[in-house]
Amino acid sequence: MTIADRARGCLLGLAAGDALGRPAENLTPEEITRRWGRLTELEPGPDGVAAGTDDTEYAIFVGLLLETYGSALTSEDVARTYREQILPISGPMKGAGFSELGTVEALRRGLEPPLTGLWHRHGWSDGLAMRSAPYGVFAAGDPAEAARLAAVDGAVSQNGEGVHGGRAVAAAVAVAMTGAEPDAVVAAGLAAVPADSWTARSVGAAIRIAASRDDLARRLHAAVVTRHYPWTDLAPEAVALAFAAYLAGGGDVEESAVTAVSLGRDADTTAAIAGALAGAGRGEGGIPARWARAIGPARGACLPTVAGRDVREVADALVRRRMSG
Amino acid sequence: MSSGDDRVRGAFAGLAIGDAAGWPAARHRWALLAPWTRRLGRELDAFAEEHRVTALPVPFALNQPVAALGIGPSDDAEWLAWTARTLEEDRRAAFAALDDTVRARISVRTALDNLARGLDPPASGHDNPHYFDDAAAVRAVAFGAASPGDPEAAARRARADAEVTNAGDGVHGAAAMASAVAVAVAGGSAVDAVDAGLAALPCGTAIRQAALDALDAPGDAFAVVPALDAAVQDHVYSYGVAAAQTVPVALALTNASAGDLTRAVPAAACLASLADSAPALTGALTGALTGYSALPEPWRASTRVLAGCCLPDLAGADLIAIADGVAERSGARTEGKQ
Repeated sequence: MTIADRARGCLLGLAAGDALGRPAENLTPEEITRRWGRLTELEPGPDGVAAGTDDTEYAIFVGLLLETYGSALTSEDVARTYREQILPISGPMKGAGFSELGTVEALRRGLEPPLTGLWHRHGWSDGLAMRSAPYGVFAAGDPAEAARLAAVDGAVSQNGEGVHGGRAVAAAVAVAMTGAEPDAVVAAGLAAVPADSWTARSVGAAIRIAASRDDLARRLHAAVVTRHYPWTDLAPEAVALAFAAYLAGGGDVEESAVTAVSLGRDADTTAAIAGALAGAGRGEGGIPARWARAIGPARGACLPTVAGRDVREVADALVRRRMSG
Repeated sequence: MSSGDDRVRGAFAGLAIGDAAGWPAARHRWALLAPWTRRLGRELDAFAEEHRVTALPVPFALNQPVAALGIGPSDDAEWLAWTARTLEEDRRAAFAALDDTVRARISVRTALDNLARGLDPPASGHDNPHYFDDAAAVRAVAFGAASPGDPEAAARRARADAEVTNAGDGVHGAAAMASAVAVAVAGGSAVDAVDAGLAALPCGTAIRQAALDALDAPGDAFAVVPALDAAVQDHVYSYGVAAAQTVPVALALTNASAGDLTRAVPAAACLASLADSAPALTGALTGALTGYSALPEPWRASTRVLAGCCLPDLAGADLIAIADGVAERSGARTEGKQ
């Protein structure tokens, strides 16, 4: 299987997982089972088109950053791109998470990274983890480099655990791009974060729990889900759920993404991450044909500057950019 | 001239006055009434939205006892009192002894879950979505009062307590409050106390940057309010209890009022989104500077008896007796201001 095939598989898996999880975001596993049994089909959105959300569009944003800057990317480049492409968005920033919104206000205040990622309170958000797969595609086979690039991006919008979550996803994708087995992929993600971190504790628990599929959702929730916080966008939790779903799904794209959605919480993001890992492992042919058919060019609903970009084309460009250094 | 004892009382009473002065106090004290009153309140809120009416619902009692909705202390005074009563206990053990009936900030509720999962401090405070909040900064007033004239010791003890429930700016904010109170109860000036607080905030943190920005804002305590709002608050999200916002406000208003609670606390209460705890922290610092006897008697009287709205065991407890217990143990019973 070629790198180009895996690159397309990764970003198609991300986009399909994102679209699959969109209607289930923030629902409990019980409610998801009640509504759909197993949610396996991409449901049309309000406009009749099955499409992803911020996860896909921000991943394309990262693809464009890498196309422009390659491995020379700096946090200042990322901050400047926010100023040029995101700050001018007038009216509400649709689909943006807390960390992106907080970062935009910090940049408007004139702050520079890393203070931009410290100033708001959402440094642990999964906003970096959701968009970090392209770093793993670009640095295929080099998890340390993939994690480094994710952290360069993360210094603008996250701190601490939010950066760790992005590093873990980027490193895991970089190893999945070699065709490694899911155990080795997740181990690489875990190795990219400090052992004494929330993310490491959470992913470690997920690995132990995913060894058996019995009662998976309940056991994972008891171990890694935070009860007394009203939102689901915590990177240590989302990355752990995504990795557990990918392990439990045995690296199969459909099984991994569908399992991620069945766990609830930030279901579009967890399914996007699980789909990206599995897609990198199985290539474009591993994406269910009915899902791949539904994934078209991004609409730019969250980020107008990515409108019209197709994840396949972004994947191809990442592979070309990788060859040119 | 105030004595050390009087200033310890001032720290506790000042916190309770600030706690009572902000609009959220009645929301917390409403928890003492039957849940259906609050459900009706939520329905009135929806009604106001639907009918485009500007009569905003406020806490009400109907056939329930009305006393809880009068001016009085709420969550922060109770958590300070709990800290003072458990001051000599191992901090992990003290928290682990709490049961599920307590009401607390998200950091504390999550930390209690973490302890139950077997996670020890500092991970219990670190693996925590609201690691940054000011729950520990409120508790730190007790450690400051217990270490008069020794801001380093106060900060050390406050950090050990804070690490059970918080991390990062949440712990730094606690260290700053403990340091500033320790200087104030020993008779230091407002400038000394604020400097000690600032010294506990490490470089490169959001809380230090926000404190410097807040202290730079020009004007007296009331005039500075809009500039403080702009300096520390981004209004992106709910919950105005981030230590990096409320502790800088407390330091800045202590400075701008030269330590006068009667000017600083009303100003803090005008910061609507920070009005839950910024007035309480501001009241603790300024009350510790002037001492209890200098505080307005009607406010002292209204805020002395705890309601038990967060820690039911504290219903009816006398906050000043609890403060006196801290002063006795710490030997703050020293001479008056030099």
